[in-house]
Amino acid sequence: MSNSRQADDRFRILRERAKELDCLYQVEELLADDARSLPDIFRDIIATLPLGWQYPKLCRARIVCHDEVYEPPDYVHTQWSDAVPIEEDGRAIGCVEVSYIREVPASDEGVFLEKERKLLRTIADRIGQTVFHRKLEKQLREWQSAQREPAANNHHQWMVIVDLLRRTDEKLYLQISRKMLYHLFWSGVKESRQVLNTFGSDFSVGNAESIADGNRPSQKQSRESILEVSDRVFAIAARHLSDAEILACLHKWIQENKLSFLIKAVDSGDTPLDQIIDALLQYRTLAGSEGGLAPSTEKWLLVSLIRRFFSDHADFINLAKRHLQVSDFFDLAPRIIYPAGSNGRLGGKSTGLFLAQQVLRRAAAREPLLQDIKTPRTWYLTADCLTEFLRYNDLGDVNEQKYKDLEQIRVEYPNIIQLFKHARFPADISKGLSLALDEFGEHPIIVRSSSLLEDRIGSGFYGKYRSLFLANQGTKQERLEALQDAIAEIYASVFGPDPILYRAEHGLLDFHEEMGIMIQEVVGTRVGPYVLPVFSGVAFSSNEFRWSPRLKRDDGLVRMVPGLGTRAVDRVSDDYPILISPGQPGLRVNVSPEEIRHYSPSRVDVINLETRSFETIPLDRLLREHGHEIPNLHHLVSVYNQGNIASTSGIELDVTRDELVVTFEGLVTRTPFIQRMRAILLTLRKELETSVDIEFASDGQTFYLLQCRPQYTADEVAPSVIPQDIPDRQILFTANRFISNGRVPDISHVVYVSPEGYARQTSRDALVDIGRAVGRLNALLPKRRFILMGPGRWGSRGDIRQGVQVTYSDISNTAVLIEIARRKGAYAPELSFGTHFFQDMVEAGIRYIPLYPDESGVVFNEHLLNSAPNMLAGMLPEYEHLSDVLRVIDVPGCKDGRILRILMNADLGRAIGFLAEPAVPSEVPPVEVKPVEARSEDFWRWRQRMAEQLALRLDPRRFGVRALYLIGSTANATAGPGSDIDLLVHFQGNQAQREALLLWLEGWSLSLAEQNYLRTGYASDRLLDVHLVTDADIAARTSYAVKINAVIDAAIPLPLGGAVEK
Amino acid sequence: METSSYNPFQVAQSQFDKVAALLELDEGVRALLREPMREYQFTIPVRMDDGRVEVFKGFRVQHNDARGPAKGGIRFHPMETIDTVRALAMWMTWKCAVVDIPLGGGKGGVICDPHHLSQHEQERICRGWVRQIARNVGPLSDVPAPDVMTNGQHMLWMLDEYEMISGEHYPGFITGKPVGMGGSLGRTEATGFGVIYVLREALKVLGLSPEKTTASVQGFGNVAQHAVQLYTQLGGTVVAVSCWDQADKTSYTFRRKSGVNLEELRAISDKFGGIDKNRARDLGYEQLPGEAWLEQDVDILIPAALENQINRGNVQKLSKRVKIIAEGANGPTTPEADEVLRQRNIFVLPDFLTNAGGVTCSYFEQVQCNTNYFWEKEEVLKRLDSKMTSAFSAVHDLACRQKLYMREAAYVIAISRVAQAVRLRGWA
Repeated sequence: MSNSRQADDRFRILRERAKELDCLYQVEELLADDARSLPDIFRDIIATLPLGWQYPKLCRARIVCHDEVYEPPDYVHTQWSDAVPIEEDGRAIGCVEVSYIREVPASDEGVFLEKERKLLRTIADRIGQTVFHRKLEKQLREWQSAQREPAANNHHQWMVIVDLLRRTDEKLYLQISRKMLYHLFWSGVKESRQVLNTFGSDFSVGNAESIADGNRPSQKQSRESILEVSDRVFAIAARHLSDAEILACLHKWIQENKLSFLIKAVDSGDTPLDQIIDALLQYRTLAGSEGGLAPSTEKWLLVSLIRRFFSDHADFINLAKRHLQVSDFFDLAPRIIYPAGSNGRLGGKSTGLFLAQQVLRRAAAREPLLQDIKTPRTWYLTADCLTEFLRYNDLGDVNEQKYKDLEQIRVEYPNIIQLFKHARFPADISKGLSLALDEFGEHPIIVRSSSLLEDRIGSGFYGKYRSLFLANQGTKQERLEALQDAIAEIYASVFGPDPILYRAEHGLLDFHEEMGIMIQEVVGTRVGPYVLPVFSGVAFSSNEFRWSPRLKRDDGLVRMVPGLGTRAVDRVSDDYPILISPGQPGLRVNVSPEEIRHYSPSRVDVINLETRSFETIPLDRLLREHGHEIPNLHHLVSVYNQGNIASTSGIELDVTRDELVVTFEGLVTRTPFIQRMRAILLTLRKELETSVDIEFASDGQTFYLLQCRPQYTADEVAPSVIPQDIPDRQILFTANRFISNGRVPDISHVVYVSPEGYARQTSRDALVDIGRAVGRLNALLPKRRFILMGPGRWGSRGDIRQGVQVTYSDISNTAVLIEIARRKGAYAPELSFGTHFFQDMVEAGIRYIPLYPDESGVVFNEHLLNSAPNMLAGMLPEYEHLSDVLRVIDVPGCKDGRILRILMNADLGRAIGFLAEPAVPSEVPPVEVKPVEARSEDFWRWRQRMAEQLALRLDPRRFGVRALYLIGSTANATAGPGSDIDLLVHFQGNQAQREALLLWLEGWSLSLAEQNYLRTGYASDRLLDVHLVTDADIAARTSYAVKINAVIDAAIPLPLGGAVEK
Repeated sequence: METSSYNPFQVAQSQFDKVAALLELDEGVRALLREPMREYQFTIPVRMDDGRVEVFKGFRVQHNDARGPAKGGIRFHPMETIDTVRALAMWMTWKCAVVDIPLGGGKGGVICDPHHLSQHEQERICRGWVRQIARNVGPLSDVPAPDVMTNGQHMLWMLDEYEMISGEHYPGFITGKPVGMGGSLGRTEATGFGVIYVLREALKVLGLSPEKTTASVQGFGNVAQHAVQLYTQLGGTVVAVSCWDQADKTSYTFRRKSGVNLEELRAISDKFGGIDKNRARDLGYEQLPGEAWLEQDVDILIPAALENQINRGNVQKLSKRVKIIAEGANGPTTPEADEVLRQRNIFVLPDFLTNAGGVTCSYFEQVQCNTNYFWEKEEVLKRLDSKMTSAFSAVHDLACRQKLYMREAAYVIAISRVAQAVRLRGWA
């Protein structure tokens, strides 16, 4: 054969394949059209089919189905024809036939090519499947309508279904007959008990002869006998149940069966995320919003979804499953961006917002104030996008960054930012971002981090990573680049010095940090060239900065500002947010018009669409130039005029002439804003079982929830454990009124104004001098390492005798201000609570403690202060004459290197200041052990929690452990008080490690057994049942190894302490 | 309460005793003026927002009303004591007398901390205060005004309650009301302008022409700004002003030797009277430490911010050129520093006289309210000028005649006017 002939041949073959494929596609398309009847489709198919054959003009096709014949008028059956039967679920119901009307050249393969024969078989198959599918669907529709109209004639219709199932889907038939059997049994139908006995079921308790002998395996039933039993079940059902009831049961169970694919997909740990999302969306279509699953199955599915997207922390799951429904995930799923093989975790911030949103939505049914609370449109990047980003760009080595010296980290960080910004995003992530941008359009967005560390209860990992605002203007490409740039920068911040330092300090360094990202639409309204929320802020359900003794912690706290909430979230030293306690909105920090004016926001954060950037601009300029464009401006501002301040109606407001002061007075007094805020905080705290911290914003019309997380519990404001064993002589003071939470950094100096000395002063100049000397000391002593203690109302503008006369600048560097209220005769003076500079103190993080030394149970060790050497004369010779009243004490200098430690606990209402050794940073990760209550349903929870604790403390490298799983009754949540905890250890170590590991686990086992005994009274020698499997076991899927990644009853992986190499 | 400690009423009494000795007042007059004529102490039950009843303690002290209805503020202060109120009432008597307005001295208050009270609760306290004392106060007997932690809103609540009780309108019952609700125009300018009216007269008697003088001002708030405005209008040159910097939590002095421009600085200052330091530098101002204002080589110092600013520690830093100190603030000079100023023969215009523009304007408010006719701002300021000018000349004449320090002369003239009224009425 010549070359050209060969080429022709190849070309001809290819052309044939293309024709065949084309034909198949067209047939597929025709079959997929649900709207058309089958005869119509068949008529089109016979017209299409010949196009796939070598000689289309001579080729004719026909279909025979259910004795109906579909063929063109000129169809003739010739010797050059090929036919394939159409089978519906294994039963021939017709055939597809092609035939040449006259002879055509035959090849080696005959008149028809092998590929053509195969094509015909495929098409016949597809037709068979479609016919079957349509039949089922028709049945389903009929059952549904039958259910809707119970009066309709459904007599014995169920029998048709049962018959159909028996013939077409034996597996489903058996499953449904089993369910019917249980249903009958529980309905009290006696006959069903005998059938159960036939199965040898455990249900037949009490029927002694049917219980399998303990020593003899029970008989395996033959397929035929099982089928027969199943038939009997329906016979019994027909006698005892109404047709309608049977039909309803069948409908429900078949529906449940259809949905089981989703649960299987989600519950198996390694199903790819895209399949889960597809399955979820399919479920949505199938089940509709009313859900088609039994409650228990739905719960199972829900828990699986929670684990998959949010957290497998047992406490969290318990909480979340009470508040979420499967349908809640419908809107979430399509907005998740993830790499191939993603595990799907979204991180703490996303989790918190999602949960809060659903909690509030459900609560709105009972509480009208909670209606119409929205969350901005949000897209999510799963946490493992970061890993994929690093892998894709070969940046894996930055992971070692955290083990470097802090200084080195600092030096290298700018380089890392650039490195990340120049990196590329994997195609699937890029595509997801592009979709997100299509939805956002040219609306400004904020890119927030959502760290996996944030959902670890008890470790407040807040604000350490960046959030970036994007104007999101310009061409799609520009916007995509800006978005990717922002995400890269946030990714880089994981390797920045501050987060690493924080993680090191909290023993979280080895935790494999992956960070999710939230992309949120910025809530706001267009004002001039800017986009900004009308107001926004942050609210806490627990008020830790109470400016009045009348306020309770539960009254909560709102910090709010006009414009973007950044100025309320962060403490800005030269500007002030408005503080309101929603429980008692009448008690404000600032009372006089001058105070209100002074402590009001003077700048505002906005997004400038013209410069496409985030900007801070003077508020008065914004109000003057664009105030009239701000919706409901009169809710935000009051008018200050000659020493008076008043909120006005919108019509009276003149933005060009009036001096406007942001007070939110209108919002508080004329709208339900504060009541709503209170309702939100109370609801979230109750339902989430923790104090919360939320971010919110309003575009002037709608209230948006932007974020929700457990309330900020950084060490300095977390409740401190108050030690009970401090010897009296080492206690400087204790306090028990109006105490907030927290601990103060180690204190090296005390500036003490003696109350007696102060009262003894007869000259006003001397009193003034004391204030001035304090101001000088404030500048000289180490910042936040000294405290001020003195009588009465500091900074009060009234009578100077009643408190040291200082302004905020005189105390700005102190760590704590302690006002001492010495009883005078029958009355104790009222303290200031720092009200004169309260808001300055809040913004600077200065703590305030009022001390009532004359109350019983209060320690105030004046001797300690009066006996220590006074450094005043040395530091400020010009104030030496005040040495008898003003004392400066170098604590380590006179107390053998010890420092003063101040711990505060608002829950106990106690604070203590005592001498202690300086703190050494802890090397042991703080693992929280929560006190547990013994409740009957808690047995498995407690076991799961203990297993998690054990896993956290297990050092995988030391013991050669690759992974640790929970199996058995604890994993299934069926453990009782006497159950043991089954652990599956994927072990890769040597013999020595094996022994060490078993010994280590033995210790746990003994102590857990003891704890379990104390909790439940069930005594046992050991509580752990440990199964070791090796790589070989897993490869061979022997013994317990099958549980790993199993479809049903899979082992639950437990997060290990320390980094595990992936 | 311990008597050994600092007691403001005792301080006020001993100050009075010194002047009484100079005036050789009769025992009877002395005895009368040493004590308040009437004191009211009463309880105010208030229904709190949470339903509880809390009982607050209220005061009103009328020190002396020989020259006219008592006048003085109402203070809301948690550590209020009767001694403080007594001392302040006595000072009000002297202050009204020194500017020669026909009013006596009073003071009152409630022991409470508005920081721990809602607006509604404060309103109920105000109304409760009036209910308890309504028979003993009024436009013709005792006229309250805003003071520590009270403001125009509190005055309106009190006025309303008073009018409810009396059944008639008495806008002259209380001063410090917002403009349009019985308040007077010109109050914003009153204190700052008053300082300069007095300064202008002082320059006259010293034979100095304002155009040839320079001044340095502490503060850039309401009083300071209006003082700078009027002094500049008179032709004087302010070379430095100091102000608080909110961001840096410290104060700075801004100096421009060619003279500061008020409008220019106002344009770059915030609502706290803080000046934008970067923009000030761009405009040619030097940024100096906060205390530098009093070290400037100027003729006049105007402390118009806080108490105790000129003290033992810094009084020696004053330039030799300084001839006049006009005390715009309350008590800007400590007694020790005052002694130094006296020895250096610096002409001190005492706070008591110099910043009396405020109380004078309150008097005008009352006059306008009683006649139910309100003046234009120009008229208020013209009358203020006239009052301050005559007050200065009376004090200065006495100081010259009797070779007294201005601060002493102001006290002497005030007390002698009150003593005269007491005698003429035949009270003592």
